[in-house]
Amino acid sequence: MSFAACKSNIKPETPSKGDANFSVYVAIGNSLTAGFADGTLYRSGQVNSYPNMLAQQFQLVGGGEFKQPLLPGESGWPIALAAGFYPKRVLGYSTDCLGTTSLGPVLYSGSWADTAGSGTNIAAGGPYNNLGIPGIKCIHYGVTGYGMLNPYAARFYSNPSGQSPMDVALAQPATFYSVWLGSNDVLAYATSGGEGVVGGTGANDISPVAAFKAIYDGLIDKLMAKGAGGVLINVPDVTSVPYFTTINPKGLNLSAAQAQGLNAAYAQLGLPITFTEGANYFVIADPAAPGGVRKMLSGEYVLLTTPGDSLKCGGWGSMKPIPTRYVLTLKEITNIKEATDAFNRIIADNAAKYNLALMDANTYLKTLSTGITWDGVTYSPAFVTGGAFSLDGVHLTPRGYALVANEVLRVINARYHATIPAVEINKYSGIKFP
Amino acid sequence: MKKICLFTASAIAVSSMAFAGSFQLNLQGIRQTAMGGSGVAMPWDASAIFFNPGGLARLDGIQAYASVNLVNPGVRYVQAPTGGYTYETNSHTSTPFAVYVGGRVSKDSKLAVGLGIYTPFGSSAHWDDNWVGRYITQTISLQSIFFQPTVSYRINDFVSVGAGFVYAIGSVDITKAIPLMDMQGNEGQAKLKGNANGIGFNLGVQLKATDKLNFGISYRSKVKMDVNSGDATFTVPKSAAGNFPAGLATDFKSKLPLPEILTVGASYKATRDLTIQADVVFAGWKTYDSLSFDFAENTAALKDTHDPRSYKNTVAFRLGGHYQIGQFAVMAGGAYDPTPTRDNLLSPDAVDANRITLSCGASYQPIPKLSIMAVLNYTTTAKRDVTYDPANFKGAYQIKSLLPGLGISYNF
Repeated sequence: MSFAACKSNIKPETPSKGDANFSVYVAIGNSLTAGFADGTLYRSGQVNSYPNMLAQQFQLVGGGEFKQPLLPGESGWPIALAAGFYPKRVLGYSTDCLGTTSLGPVLYSGSWADTAGSGTNIAAGGPYNNLGIPGIKCIHYGVTGYGMLNPYAARFYSNPSGQSPMDVALAQPATFYSVWLGSNDVLAYATSGGEGVVGGTGANDISPVAAFKAIYDGLIDKLMAKGAGGVLINVPDVTSVPYFTTINPKGLNLSAAQAQGLNAAYAQLGLPITFTEGANYFVIADPAAPGGVRKMLSGEYVLLTTPGDSLKCGGWGSMKPIPTRYVLTLKEITNIKEATDAFNRIIADNAAKYNLALMDANTYLKTLSTGITWDGVTYSPAFVTGGAFSLDGVHLTPRGYALVANEVLRVINARYHATIPAVEINKYSGIKFP
Repeated sequence: MKKICLFTASAIAVSSMAFAGSFQLNLQGIRQTAMGGSGVAMPWDASAIFFNPGGLARLDGIQAYASVNLVNPGVRYVQAPTGGYTYETNSHTSTPFAVYVGGRVSKDSKLAVGLGIYTPFGSSAHWDDNWVGRYITQTISLQSIFFQPTVSYRINDFVSVGAGFVYAIGSVDITKAIPLMDMQGNEGQAKLKGNANGIGFNLGVQLKATDKLNFGISYRSKVKMDVNSGDATFTVPKSAAGNFPAGLATDFKSKLPLPEILTVGASYKATRDLTIQADVVFAGWKTYDSLSFDFAENTAALKDTHDPRSYKNTVAFRLGGHYQIGQFAVMAGGAYDPTPTRDNLLSPDAVDANRITLSCGASYQPIPKLSIMAVLNYTTTAKRDVTYDPANFKGAYQIKSLLPGLGISYNF
């Protein structure tokens, strides 16, 4: 009996590509596809994008090289504080108006020198396989010259002023596509507190369903014209992310005296708003309410970006209404849900029409709320502690993206009779704690 | 900062890598190990104290016996159903041993007494610190030592009986990663260390039906090993320390039931020099229903744990032969040990599968009072595709081990 016989040498079962061809994989999408996290785009976030994870798994079954338009630095890009472009968020300590120091997202305070050269056009290094553009909406896909409007596109489109995103997508002879488009067609409305209109094309509007359908149908039709395969990923319920669910709308805690004082003040104004000792719903601005002010209702959201000091010390939500841009009302939530459902029907129709795999991100991310356990770790949608969402409360951590990648692989395997193995999620990081 | 759910998966488990189904070690006698672990019917030497205390009264004189085995099991994990990665346990040798002293109280007495000190259960598995299953287990080491004072009585030429009391001590030493990462990417870790003890007994009847044919039956009771005051310590990023017990340390309690075991067997002296024997072993693993850890101080991040195990009872078969050649003897045997574990509850800290064992050994008697014995035991499993549902951890495993052992006995 040789000594070697007492060491196991079992090997994993060999994966199969099934009916699909992954030799040229192109990922189409927005910030989620680009690897956006912690409020910005930075190099390691791109490296940990779900398309890059998918590409590594595809390489086990004959997939080819996967090029990403990588930024040079880790600070985040672009950074222009005056214009509202900040470096990435990291976990750190900050002291609020009450003098309480607590752990939470703070702006990265290191040098931004590593962002030098981020804006340089790198199209010569392409063509790139990851075409995710932060901020892009589905309805932008047909806009010629889109690269002039979005610095992330301008970086790697070969002709930013003369191409539409669709032109860029079609320039490559892809054999397999992933398409995760449509989130921004509702998300921008949601993150602006419903400041836009329904059926508009402005930055904070919910895109018109007809325009969405025309562009989406046209895109998938053209992508599939050459016999490629693919997976379509639908629009998540944007209101299930920590950006909307972290601040409790019933977060106004009052003593009996405080409640009495507020009651007297609102009575003097002749407004039908009353408070009781204990937890109360915040007061918000609502042009439709008497006097333009009302208390929040169950099911409404306060946005994560609401200034904490204004809530704690500035009288927001009690003496003063929280401005509408920090609140999603039931009506706005209904608008978001109706649009999301309409967009997802269009996506599902395309998946059915072209017999493509469909990843139901809407349902999958909802299952996070009861916890998703993978290789010994349980993820939840809780902000910071849940492990899946990054510090901007909308985008994912590398582990969160890996969960998405594995769900995408599951539906690809089912549709294409493939046996591509799951991503080793524990290789990636979650939130980092000081 | 709210609750950080860390211990949803098993905190601690105490098994694995054994050689007779789960964490039972079947290495209490060199000759018996060489014969596939069989030996309830025949009092080969003072190791009868373990195998069948009824046989002790049949030994001539007083015997002192000592043996040691080198255990270095190898477990390999592969991603399943298909995969791109594999992991292996690191080499880590343990040395289960047995010491027996006993025999008839006087030359013509029917009464014999003895003491056995042996290690019937134990395991260790040292996975890599950064392996994919690190939040379930990084390293685990379980040791137990049984002290068994024993009396044995030869009722007549045909029947002898015996009984022993068992006092067991043990230790558990576990590390696992905590999914909390610091700014440099280092993860947290939990360490659990504790001592355990328990009591039990064993009984045996040995029947010498004819000069050629022996029967034996032995019963070893369940021993509930209690960890009453283990030490749990935690390493986590500074900002998360407030979610853990003060000083990042607390006590814990746990229980590990070692199952009752009933063995029935026969031996047959086919020729003057050749004896063959076979045992059937019933193990009451069903008692191992779950593994729980009760921490003295619970916090947002540290809850008590309760992990299902739902072991099944097992019946194992062992067969062996012993051939005498003058001062020498050679032995060979084999065993089949079905696993008590379930396909959906197999934790990587307690990898197990149906085991096939092949064994051989030899003994040499340079002078009539002295025997020197050696054994080589080879155990393997088929590749087993399983999940550990509480942690949603899937994979396929194979166990292989080659373990040598040496022993010596002296008759006074």
